[in-house]
Amino acid sequence: MTVSTPLQLFGALVDSAAWPALRIILHLAFFAAAVIILWRIWTRLAGAKARPGQTLQLFAALPMAGVAAAFLGVLLYQASWQLTGLFRPEFVAFMQSHDRREFNPAHRIQRGRILDRHGQVLAESQERDGRVYRVYPFGRAFAHTVGYSDPRFGAIGAEAAANAQLNGATPEVLASWGELGRQLLTKDKRPRGQDLELTLDAELQLLALQLLGSRHGAVVLLRPADGALLVLANNPAFDPNRLSPALFSGPAAGTPLLNRATQGLYPPGSVFKVVLAAAAIESGFNGTLNCPAGGYTTSSRYPPIRDHDYYTAAKAGRTWTGHGNLNLTTALVESSNVFFAQLGVRLGHDSFAGAGERFQFDRQVRLYPGTDRYGNLSTGRLPRFARNDLYGLAQASIGQGRVLATPGHLATIAAAVANRGLAMRPRLLAQEPPAPLGQYMAEQTAARLAQILRKVVTTGTGRGIDGPQLAIAGKTGTAQNPRGAAHSWFIGFAPAAAPTLAVAVLVEHGGYGSSAAAPIARDLLLKAMELENAR
Amino acid sequence: MNAAASPAGLAATWDLRQGERELLLSCLGCIALGFVLVLGSEHAAGRQLTVSAVLPLLVYGLSLIGLHLALVLLRFRGDQVLTAVVACLAGFGLLAQYRMGAFAGTLGADDPELYLIPAGFAALLVTAVAGANGRYRWLAKGLWLWAGVSLLLLVVLLVTGTRFRGAVYALGFTTPTEVLKVTVILGLAAYLERHARTLARWHPRFPLLPPLRALWPLLVFWVLLVGLLALQRDLGMIVILSVVLVLLLVRATGRVGYFGYGLLAAAGAGALLLTFFAHGQRRVEAWLDPFQDPTGDGWQILQGLSGMYAGGLWGEGFGNGSPEYTPIARSDFIYAVIGEELGFLGCVLVALFFLILVQRGIMIAGQARTDFGRLLAAGLTTVLAVQTLLNLGGVTKAIPLTGITLPFISHGGASLLTTFSVVGLLLAISDGQVGAARRPARTVKRAAAVDATPPAPVPAPRPVERPARPRRRPAEPKTP
Repeated sequence: MTVSTPLQLFGALVDSAAWPALRIILHLAFFAAAVIILWRIWTRLAGAKARPGQTLQLFAALPMAGVAAAFLGVLLYQASWQLTGLFRPEFVAFMQSHDRREFNPAHRIQRGRILDRHGQVLAESQERDGRVYRVYPFGRAFAHTVGYSDPRFGAIGAEAAANAQLNGATPEVLASWGELGRQLLTKDKRPRGQDLELTLDAELQLLALQLLGSRHGAVVLLRPADGALLVLANNPAFDPNRLSPALFSGPAAGTPLLNRATQGLYPPGSVFKVVLAAAAIESGFNGTLNCPAGGYTTSSRYPPIRDHDYYTAAKAGRTWTGHGNLNLTTALVESSNVFFAQLGVRLGHDSFAGAGERFQFDRQVRLYPGTDRYGNLSTGRLPRFARNDLYGLAQASIGQGRVLATPGHLATIAAAVANRGLAMRPRLLAQEPPAPLGQYMAEQTAARLAQILRKVVTTGTGRGIDGPQLAIAGKTGTAQNPRGAAHSWFIGFAPAAAPTLAVAVLVEHGGYGSSAAAPIARDLLLKAMELENAR
Repeated sequence: MNAAASPAGLAATWDLRQGERELLLSCLGCIALGFVLVLGSEHAAGRQLTVSAVLPLLVYGLSLIGLHLALVLLRFRGDQVLTAVVACLAGFGLLAQYRMGAFAGTLGADDPELYLIPAGFAALLVTAVAGANGRYRWLAKGLWLWAGVSLLLLVVLLVTGTRFRGAVYALGFTTPTEVLKVTVILGLAAYLERHARTLARWHPRFPLLPPLRALWPLLVFWVLLVGLLALQRDLGMIVILSVVLVLLLVRATGRVGYFGYGLLAAAGAGALLLTFFAHGQRRVEAWLDPFQDPTGDGWQILQGLSGMYAGGLWGEGFGNGSPEYTPIARSDFIYAVIGEELGFLGCVLVALFFLILVQRGIMIAGQARTDFGRLLAAGLTTVLAVQTLLNLGGVTKAIPLTGITLPFISHGGASLLTTFSVVGLLLAISDGQVGAARRPARTVKRAAAVDATPPAPVPAPRPVERPARPRRRPAEPKTP
């Protein structure tokens, strides 16, 4: 390269390997020059002030002090962003998602880990070849709850909801303020984000998935007293370690992206009778209703609603004489459709809507603090009927027709029965204090309902899962649906006398609630109790 | 700093201004260092360097030298630190603007951008020399002229201007309202000089009642002014001028009660503006919680802060950051650019230069020989201080954004020329001592008053001593 002009010489210098070092020297020299100028001005002014009669006087000192204080204040506030900005989690999160400056240290922050209640790692960042990857050791087991954080596909689940915490550090995370000073001086800001502890129990979650096997469905296990979710399992799921555009393009088979436990809307079937029973008890209903084998209908134009015993008998070629007169307890224990269809119509539209309101249907309950965009729990949908639509009301009263609910909300309802009628808000973050969601029913109602639900398992439709190890109370459900075999439901709690766990299990197209969902609930509750007693 | 009273020869002025010379030369050296840094980064980024790339530095250096030589030749004896500080700040501005691509593309000797800083220095020189030797006091005569010009300018602008992003601009995207920072202060200082005594006479029985009869012309003018500015949504200007009004009222009359009314009026006007101007409302919301709408209203401030965070303590180095990601970085958000490329330390340096600027202004206001000079200098200094603080505070999210430029550094011809003229006026006032010396009667009286307390020896070449107390003296017949 021929060097002829000073400018070319300069260009060659910049291109040489010495430039990065030279640049830093120039940078410091620039600062030094500015400081020298300031120093010269200072000595000059200080010298001028020393002359007699030139002392700084109040009229000059006061405004000067005010302006200096204002500048100092602005600079200090600026420092709280510029120097210690990593203590502002929202700010760090903003920079990570919206700042395109590659040299911004926020992009090199090591994201915090996500842990289960016992410290099992559910998500962590690992560095390979200078790049940071997010690793999910359990793969698809926690795909919906933990979610994913991916530069291409964004973030969902806890990764999205607690983004700020995972990225942001607190002074305690740094070894000391000295460490912060070192990072500032050397520009080597590599803070580690804070870990996030979930209420989930990895062992139980894995068991729930194992119990579901290849069947589609959802399992929710939570503690009635404080709303802590121990299991929030979905099948099918996706592997957050291997995200691909195909996953997001159009409706995939089995919709693995859908969080069935919190967003899956299913007809609740017979488990919805718990809601109606609570409404009946609260309305003072104490009588019996005649439940003939011929079923019940509101008009001869509509097919009668019958009990499942009728269909079983018909299948076997026997004749069934009907339940006769049933009271509420027996009706719930036997899960009589005819009884509850009549009961719903008797209670009327307003009572039905009131129960829906009290049990907080048609809501979105937030599972994570802060933003409501990710991981809300949808409670379900309760239809509004025309005044004269009695058949719709009768159908809805047995959890069919246009009534829809999510497994998560039905678990909350079971938990409310177990918790003297008070529903606690389901929560996933261990750090979040428990909060009430609503009083779903009076305390006495809950106590009576709990007794009936216990009886369902000892003598009724759920007797298949009754055993000496654990006193389970609950309600089975078999929900007819237009897409195939009935959905199998079980909601309940244990131990019946002093409940510490509440559960909801849904097996899509699993058939009878007692045959598919209830055993899963039993096995899970047994294991959970065993773990609880062991600890 | 204080001029020798004897007729100064060229050599004497040359010696007198040695301090300024030294400071200006260091300043040139400092800016040259920064310039090399920027040029290097430009080259490293793959831009072809030509000889014309050095033009901005050349023009800047020549204007510093020219300014100094002119001041010496014209026997100017005003403040020397002030010129150096302004030169430094303008140099920072030059570097930041050059870095933001102000001179990008085909830079020829006919690029108007190139002559903004020389034009500023020229404006400074002209105002300083024209007003020197006490001549600035003529400006007090034009009280109603200043008031009229200010209002007329606003009305004309409202009728002919074009709206962009809420604000009103004149032809060629200039902002002639910047001139108000001079004209309104001139009128205000003149009015307060004339009526200070009556304005200081509050009601004897109701001590909370200000003298409305002396106050109403001022209030009417102010309501018109603020109203017109509000129509233009020039919130920053309203704040600057109103702060000056209150401070000058207090300064002229010694009545702290005006502070109280100022605060009340500020609260009232703030509430009014917030209820009727969606513009202001959104800015306050973006200020309180920019994360509410991070990609909308909070975008600019958060991008600026992100750049500053990336810059950290030392900065990325001139030319090495990516301030182009911050919207409107060249004008309102130039401080964020400095924060990104020079780091927190660079920001502290800039802030210190501004502090010295304000300190000089306050000293000049204190040493001025006439009430008008004192008030004018105090007012102009307040304009600079408030404007700087509004900009710095806005960019760092300490206060809501007001859309105000940073003096000497932000891009914008009108703003630059106005601030340079403001400093020119301050320089003129600092040169004004001689005017007072011409009136021996007053001087003797004051000197006696000072000497009465401790018999301090007065140095021989400085027969004039500045008064001990800033209190407003009884109005004396002014001989212009």
